Amino acid sequence: MRIIPPQTSRGQYPLPESKHRAKICFSEEKKTAGGNHRKRSNVYILCYIWKTEGRMSCKASVTCLQLSSLKRAEKAPVHLMPCEIEHNGLAQVSQYFTATAKENKKGTKTDRPVFATDKTVSFRGRGLKGQEISCPDGYTGLVLKEVDRHGSDQEDRTVKVTSVFDKLTYWNLETPPTSDDTVVMAMDWPELAEAIHGTVED
Amino acid sequence: MDLKQFEADNSGSFRLASRIPDVCRTEDCCLGVDEAGRGPVLGPMVYGICFCPVSKREELKDLKVADSKTLNEAERENLFQKLDEAQNYVGWALQILSPNMISTSMLQRTKYNLNALSHDTAIGLIQYALDSGVYVDTVGPAEKYEEKLSQRFPGIQVTVRPKADSLFPVVSAASICAKVARDRVVKGWNFAEDLGEIDADYGSGYPNDPKTKEWLLKYLDPVFGYPQFVRFSWSTAQTLMDSKAVDDDEEDGEKAAQRQNNRSMLSYFSASAEGDRAQQTHRFFSERRLKSLKSL
Repeated sequence: MRIIPPQTSRGQYPLPESKHRAKICFSEEKKTAGGNHRKRSNVYILCYIWKTEGRMSCKASVTCLQLSSLKRAEKAPVHLMPCEIEHNGLAQVSQYFTATAKENKKGTKTDRPVFATDKTVSFRGRGLKGQEISCPDGYTGLVLKEVDRHGSDQEDRTVKVTSVFDKLTYWNLETPPTSDDTVVMAMDWPELAEAIHGTVED
Repeated sequence: MDLKQFEADNSGSFRLASRIPDVCRTEDCCLGVDEAGRGPVLGPMVYGICFCPVSKREELKDLKVADSKTLNEAERENLFQKLDEAQNYVGWALQILSPNMISTSMLQRTKYNLNALSHDTAIGLIQYALDSGVYVDTVGPAEKYEEKLSQRFPGIQVTVRPKADSLFPVVSAASICAKVARDRVVKGWNFAEDLGEIDADYGSGYPNDPKTKEWLLKYLDPVFGYPQFVRFSWSTAQTLMDSKAVDDDEEDGEKAAQRQNNRSMLSYFSASAEGDRAQQTHRFFSERRLKSLKSL
């Protein structure tokens, strides 16, 4: 999961990015009129609002976000999987995944920081345990799709927003979700960043 | 045999039992264990036990519970009816292991293989019933299993014999219970997946049945594989997925391990920093798997 925080006038501070770059997040796709067909597209998840004009730049290239697409985007359920799926495109998420996922309430007596309820599902015969978490306060998740470069050589890239989310479900391979999980802890960063880099009142 | 609860949620393991006849609590009983559906790639595996007082063994024999493999579905249903009607001295219990449970057990990180799963299920059923003198059909080497069960149930005479279902009526009866349960579950399988009308023409469900293979190919989804009716841990299912489905690499898979281990030989030799080595990130970021983003 790639996370990009807003830039401030102080300059850039470390931009978080998930080490497992290709960990696929996929969102539910509605069945299109002509049936499901695969499109070549790159899907990334950003967990921050793009506060400035919608540009991210570093030394070599510029990536532009079409802000107009943000207005049109709708909320979508998003799942973070504990595996790499070598596929970029449509998938029958609601038919196979959402339809078979089950919610379970846990007992109250635990000595580990487990959540009160979690979800169970199987993916390709592997048992997964999941939990819904929210995006940090003041931030929105974006599902981006790269706008075709038409084979141009330039390094500048353009993305548009296909859907937004304010919460997502992350899935562990077999182990029950706890607040020690990496993605849950990663959500600490914006608050900490604000404390470190935010404006200080005199 | 009320399977409604399992039909509502067929993703786990489900136990179903008859009322325990009063005589079984007062007299010495013999108990048979058998299973149905171990080999197929589709549907559940069912373990069944059947027990009756030793004194009633002849009566049980008179019900003509022969080796269930030689009977057809209708004949088995008929015999189960008879067993059910003999409820004043015959008791039975079943454990239905869903294909999803078989897949997840066999594929989990600490592998729980099918033999271990089978033994534990049988033991669980035996423990459930009150018994003495157990006749058991065998999976894996008979002597080892007999030893395992004798240790588990001291004071009970355990016999593990291949083809016990054709030798002992009480095992045949258990076999019938298990097979009838499996047939009913497979017939009434409720596909939790939202896939519309699903073709029920999948043949015998055994991996070498061409009709079954055809069905598997028909319902093979490139991302998700198959519906939970299929045992993902079966090599037939995996082979088809390897060729027709997109690759996926789990956290504990081989590719992930390779990625972590892949280091150039040269990295062991160079003492100085290479090119533009990134700054050492603080542990706060590395333990949350956050790092600097340079581009998409």
